[in-house]
Amino acid sequence: MEKHMAVCPYCGTGCKLNLLVEGGKVVGAEPLNGVTNEGELCLKGYFGYDFINDTKLLTPRLRNPMLRRSRDAAFEAVSWDEAIQYAAKKLGEIKAKYGPDSIMTTGSSRGTGNETNYVMQKFTRAVLGTNNVDNCARVCHGPSVAGLQVTLGNGAMSNSIPEIEHTKCVLVFGYNVADSHPVIAKRIIKAKERGAKIIVCDPRKIETARLADLWLPLNNGSNMALVNAFANVLINEGLYNKEYVASHTEGFDEYKKIVDKYTPEYAAAITGLPADDIREAMRIYAAAPSATILWGMGVTQWSQGVDVVKGLSGLALLTGNLGRPNVGVGPVRGQNNVQGSCDMGVLPTEFPGYQKVTDPEIREKFAKAWGVDSLPGEIGYRLTDVPHLAETGKLKAMYVMGEDPAQTEPDLTQVRKGFEAMEFVIVQDIFMTKTAMFADLILPATSWGEHEGVFSAADRSFQRFTKAVDAKGDVKHDWEIISLLATAMGYPMHYNNTKEIWDELRELCPIFYGVTYEKMEGLGAVPWPCRDLDSAGSKYLYEGNVFQRPGGKGLLFATEWRPPQDQLTEEFPLILCTVREVGHYSCRSMTGNCAALQTLADEPGYVTINPKDAKALGIRDQELVWVSSRRGKVITRASVTDRTNKGAVYMTYQWWIGACNELTIHAVDPIAKTPEYKYAAVRVEAIADQIWAENYVQQEYAKLKGGLSNAVTGAAKKAPAYA
Amino acid sequence: MNKFVTANPSKCIGCRTCEIACALAHSEGAGVEGLAPGSFKPRIRMVKTADVSTAVMCHHCEDAPCVNACPNNAIVYRQHSVQVEQERCLGCKNCVLACPFGVMDVVTVPAVRQFAGMTLSLGVKAQAHKCDLCIERGDAGPACVSVCPTSALTLMDREAMDETLRRRRERAALEAAEVAA
Ligand code: SF4
Ligand code: SF4
Ligand code: SF4
Repeated sequence: MEKHMAVCPYCGTGCKLNLLVEGGKVVGAEPLNGVTNEGELCLKGYFGYDFINDTKLLTPRLRNPMLRRSRDAAFEAVSWDEAIQYAAKKLGEIKAKYGPDSIMTTGSSRGTGNETNYVMQKFTRAVLGTNNVDNCARVCHGPSVAGLQVTLGNGAMSNSIPEIEHTKCVLVFGYNVADSHPVIAKRIIKAKERGAKIIVCDPRKIETARLADLWLPLNNGSNMALVNAFANVLINEGLYNKEYVASHTEGFDEYKKIVDKYTPEYAAAITGLPADDIREAMRIYAAAPSATILWGMGVTQWSQGVDVVKGLSGLALLTGNLGRPNVGVGPVRGQNNVQGSCDMGVLPTEFPGYQKVTDPEIREKFAKAWGVDSLPGEIGYRLTDVPHLAETGKLKAMYVMGEDPAQTEPDLTQVRKGFEAMEFVIVQDIFMTKTAMFADLILPATSWGEHEGVFSAADRSFQRFTKAVDAKGDVKHDWEIISLLATAMGYPMHYNNTKEIWDELRELCPIFYGVTYEKMEGLGAVPWPCRDLDSAGSKYLYEGNVFQRPGGKGLLFATEWRPPQDQLTEEFPLILCTVREVGHYSCRSMTGNCAALQTLADEPGYVTINPKDAKALGIRDQELVWVSSRRGKVITRASVTDRTNKGAVYMTYQWWIGACNELTIHAVDPIAKTPEYKYAAVRVEAIADQIWAENYVQQEYAKLKGGLSNAVTGAAKKAPAYA
Repeated sequence: MNKFVTANPSKCIGCRTCEIACALAHSEGAGVEGLAPGSFKPRIRMVKTADVSTAVMCHHCEDAPCVNACPNNAIVYRQHSVQVEQERCLGCKNCVLACPFGVMDVVTVPAVRQFAGMTLSLGVKAQAHKCDLCIERGDAGPACVSVCPTSALTLMDREAMDETLRRRRERAALEAAEVAA
């Protein structure tokens, strides 16, 4: 049996593991003693590898480039040569006719790795000539990046994952750590065993709430009011660190003025929490010699996400919980490499290494290195703008790599209209996805396990992963495909391996310069910034309390609470909040093809509902129900549980039949453009004829799976030469 | 003393990694691809209520109700554990009703017999189904314990039990001293 070192392709914990290979097939996974996982894995790490083997449980692996010359035609398998020439010609024509800004690309925060993302943004900027490149961080931690960059100067987790177990207080805000990052949950359990106090702010009784010293079940949509009240208590009870505030922060007076109104009593009315619990939380937080704030999508997926992130960083600034070990602010990244795709500049605002596209000197540097006269200086489009831009004719072509917006974006009806309105859509993926069904050209890539590269864990650590098996079928590495396309478009691009790409980008990004492949050999993990070849990287940011802002001080910022956008009415009386669950991941194209994970939970997925709400609606546990909003209607299975608060229902976003994003609203944060996935007004209805409903789900599921798999097998049959 | 696996509810996060590991450890080497919802029968079950998440499985009782209830002596004490001799199991479910923890089940599996190089189907065979402490894995020990990401599961043997008891007594003594002071 062979063993090949890898980094888990699921969450941002960055667990190191060995893939066990027998006869060219991955047959198992075993944990390694990586820096972030220390010999642990969760069920996805242990049992989430068989999607590589094309199990076809949900959707088939792509084997050949596939093209359809008109939208009503079926896909046909074509040669790489034809596919690349076709793509180059089409993109060239669209660029000539409508200008470079009519084309948009995406990076991928998943299994492909940092090198591919670097190559994708290089292609977008140097070859297409636009900054229209983005990644799915937009729909998750975009607000964390935008918010923290303003207040502290850096959008990432300030401290490392291993430090969590040594902190004396963990404030968990809108973050279901057990379901999102099981191996980080262990760190919190260990911290508690070492005497740390745990405070959890979440409307639901999540696993961490069970072990919390204090659980604040705030009303859905009241985050800003609670964070302001926290600041109010810290200031008015004199719990804040006056010396720290005086020497390391700015904006205190303005800040104090705004939060003054948010007395615990005032916030109690909005949050539904007892005023004394709000006080108690801050007394605990401020008393701890070291305290860490961790947050997730419960903070960011709101139309007021950026403001709340800024507010949370304010609590750390007020109490001096930054710039040293075991403290800090932690936006814990969901997907395994969403930190990486931001690091690599698949963002409309930034080059790799967080260098602004609006800075002429930086543009000059990259233009020179990439051998082009100039690079675009205007900020590009965001992923969430796409449906609107396509419908209004501004966006004509899209090159989607390793993402499935037709599953993961809000208000899917709008998304589909957007794709239909575009002239040319390329989807590059390892699976036939819902988005791929809209494509004109499908480019098949190698999967995690079939290529090597570097991922960034949620705590900024770069780690290498290696190849375990050879890919089957006529597929290529993502970065190879992009290079071929660049070359065909008249910009010769060629790399022999990922190390060449890595070394190119290292030279261009001062904060990554010291992170060499050699340092990341084996179990090596190097957290950026790492500017020198002899540096081991930075476990925590803001050493010496120097913030990466002009003047070096942290900014205290508060703003008024705004109620969520969607309106509850008699017709739509319940709040729908989208969440994730431990056994499945993202759009589910990977985990849905893993037998073990599929065994634990399958279509149509679940809506969790409080027993009181369920009773009033005549719904029993495990029955199929309809959920509808002003935007759509889906069928799903009710899971009646006391852990869900009354008045709200929760759906995980990975189900293809019970697709909650048919229901969600396209109301975005004004700065980060992250959608309000956490608040949509819905109605839940019982279905009298359960037998009909079960059959309906089975039929829909079969239809969907059949459609995806026919698209692939049909194309292969048409052109046997490439099958 | 019989060995047994215990779960610590203050560490369990309800992830069900243990369930999959258990099913796989008894899959006759079929691997993950052999798992499917219909045939998924882990011998450990994660239970989630309003306030508790934890895993439950066989306690390998010293005076086991299932052993006492079995009319055909199919359940025996072996290698410091309670084991089922599947050839003797009738599928009568007495043990299922006797077990106070709800961790004994009776399942049916396809019964086959090898005859002259051919596999003959003999319908179904009943099996009393519960944690066997992964006895087949030998020194590798219980599969569930080895995978739990939060170390919520422990294999209790005499030594581990003594250690737990020692710690409990120490705590009791300290508390008593506090009360006295
Ligand atoms: S999903 Fe996350 S916690 Fe689980 S093994 Fe993978 S990296 Fe670790
Ligand atoms: S693996 Fe551990 S944490 Fe997960 S359900 Fe089982 S006992 Fe609980
Ligand atoms: S010890 Fe083995 S048989 Fe028993 S519950 Fe754990 S994995 Fe299953």
